[in-house]
Amino acid sequence: MYAIFKREFLSYFRTPVGYVAMAIFTFISGFIFYTLFSRGIVSISEEIISLRSLFVVIVPIITMGMFAEDRKRGTDVLYFTTPGDLFSVVCGKFFAAIALCLVMFINVFIHMIVVSLCGGRVGIGAWGSVIVFFFLAALFISIGLLASVLTDNQIISAIVSFLLILVTQLISAIGAYFGTAASTLMSYMGMNVSSRNNAQKSITNAISWFDPFAKTSDFGDGIFSVSALVFCISFAIFFLYLTFRILEKKRWSQK
Amino acid sequence: MIEIKNLVKHYGDKQALKGISFTVKDNEVLGFLGPNGAGKSTTMNIITGYLSSTSGMVKINGHDILEQPDLAKKDIGYLPEQPPLYLDMTVEEYLTFMCELKGVAKKDRKEHIETIAKMVGIEAVTGRLIGNLSKGYKQRVGIAQALVGDPPILILDEPTVGLDPNQIIGIRKLIKDLSKNHSVIVSSHILSEIQEIADRVVIIHKGKIAAIDTVKDLSQRLTGSTKLLLSFKGPAKDAVNRLTMIQGITDVTIRNSGNLSEVEITTAKVAGDEIRAAIFFMMAKSGWPILEFRSLDPTLEEVFLSITAG
Repeated sequence: MYAIFKREFLSYFRTPVGYVAMAIFTFISGFIFYTLFSRGIVSISEEIISLRSLFVVIVPIITMGMFAEDRKRGTDVLYFTTPGDLFSVVCGKFFAAIALCLVMFINVFIHMIVVSLCGGRVGIGAWGSVIVFFFLAALFISIGLLASVLTDNQIISAIVSFLLILVTQLISAIGAYFGTAASTLMSYMGMNVSSRNNAQKSITNAISWFDPFAKTSDFGDGIFSVSALVFCISFAIFFLYLTFRILEKKRWSQK
Repeated sequence: MIEIKNLVKHYGDKQALKGISFTVKDNEVLGFLGPNGAGKSTTMNIITGYLSSTSGMVKINGHDILEQPDLAKKDIGYLPEQPPLYLDMTVEEYLTFMCELKGVAKKDRKEHIETIAKMVGIEAVTGRLIGNLSKGYKQRVGIAQALVGDPPILILDEPTVGLDPNQIIGIRKLIKDLSKNHSVIVSSHILSEIQEIADRVVIIHKGKIAAIDTVKDLSQRLTGSTKLLLSFKGPAKDAVNRLTMIQGITDVTIRNSGNLSEVEITTAKVAGDEIRAAIFFMMAKSGWPILEFRSLDPTLEEVFLSITAG
């Protein structure tokens, strides 16, 4: 696993991919920080919460090539024909992407230092946001890896992961939409108001339960909820496992 | 030692392999021949564990590739048709990565890479990016990658593709040297190459084994007779008349007549010394100087064509 991790991590800096991702992240985080700072608000957790929307752009960039490029170049042969299991290959790539996020995040750490030097306070809420940021990164990167293993075209892989991550970010809105739709449908069927409202609420809640942002929103206020972290990790493991199974299946059914 | 029994592979409705069985002994070079799409690469991919067979068994030094994959894969060095190279790495970084993947101990890595680089002739380019190398060098880096970890079995899918004649001779020599203590399976489109380096040949056609034998036995089994080529200065027609009178010669055909005649002589059995001597004396007596006189063993090309055409 370490060999794969090292190769993938260093390859971010051998190609423009790592630099592009870092440039986007640094620019946007710097811009957000500047905007907040110039208004006299020194809230690191607010900056990090805004940065979470960047996953939808950053993650496809850093994960699109991970399996797609291997397949296209024929280097995936190495994983199948050398000793060692495929799950460690998946994990190696996953941790390489996490490590890149850590490197990108250095900029935010600098902002935290600036804030404390200028007399601001980096409170527990800020640290909570940092923790959440990485758990969410793990979740979205695992989705990106899954998109990458599905195709051998990087562009398609990027688009698929972009759409999947976009859906997870809009999940509360999607839940609300389905709730309203169900309620409208029931009103046509002539059902009473209270059962319609109940149905709307349950459907909205059921779908919104999957919203990773809503789940982790307490962290910015300094409230640590283990269940939210377990949620992110379980889904990350689920997607990584799915990636591993698809990778393994490819050798059974090839064109 | 590689044991392959009854390999069958389906791609959807298409049956790519229809029951392939053969074994490769220790320190043997097995040539793998077949037209495009015959199933050569599929077979190699299954042996190395890259693909799974629909049914059948592959054992590498006694370890089943599916049941004990790590033990089996440890013994194999594989160069696929498209060398698995990371173009963004230097040769040295890449070979170090391969050492890590194959579990070569850290303290031995540097020496191991130097030895391999010397063997395949890439010492001069170890510091360069693979993406900037010529095709021939890339191919050699691919071979180097297969040698990492010193596996006793090497599977090389068209190893000399894209190399210049000097490099081809170099790689053939390397394979011959390696065969002293490695089992090697080599596929190639260049039949003379297989003829030169392989101990045995497997001819695979439409997913089945069409022939499996030594190169020499294959040629003889196919013809049962021997052909001789004779070129000389003299009248071709007269020579044919006189040659057919020599006992043991079944057929003489004219290839070229004129100032310089050339005839093809077919003998009933393998041409012994007597027939050749008789031909020589007859030509001398007739006053027709012999310019060239050699046996025409069927080349692997002919064997291959006659097997795969049938």
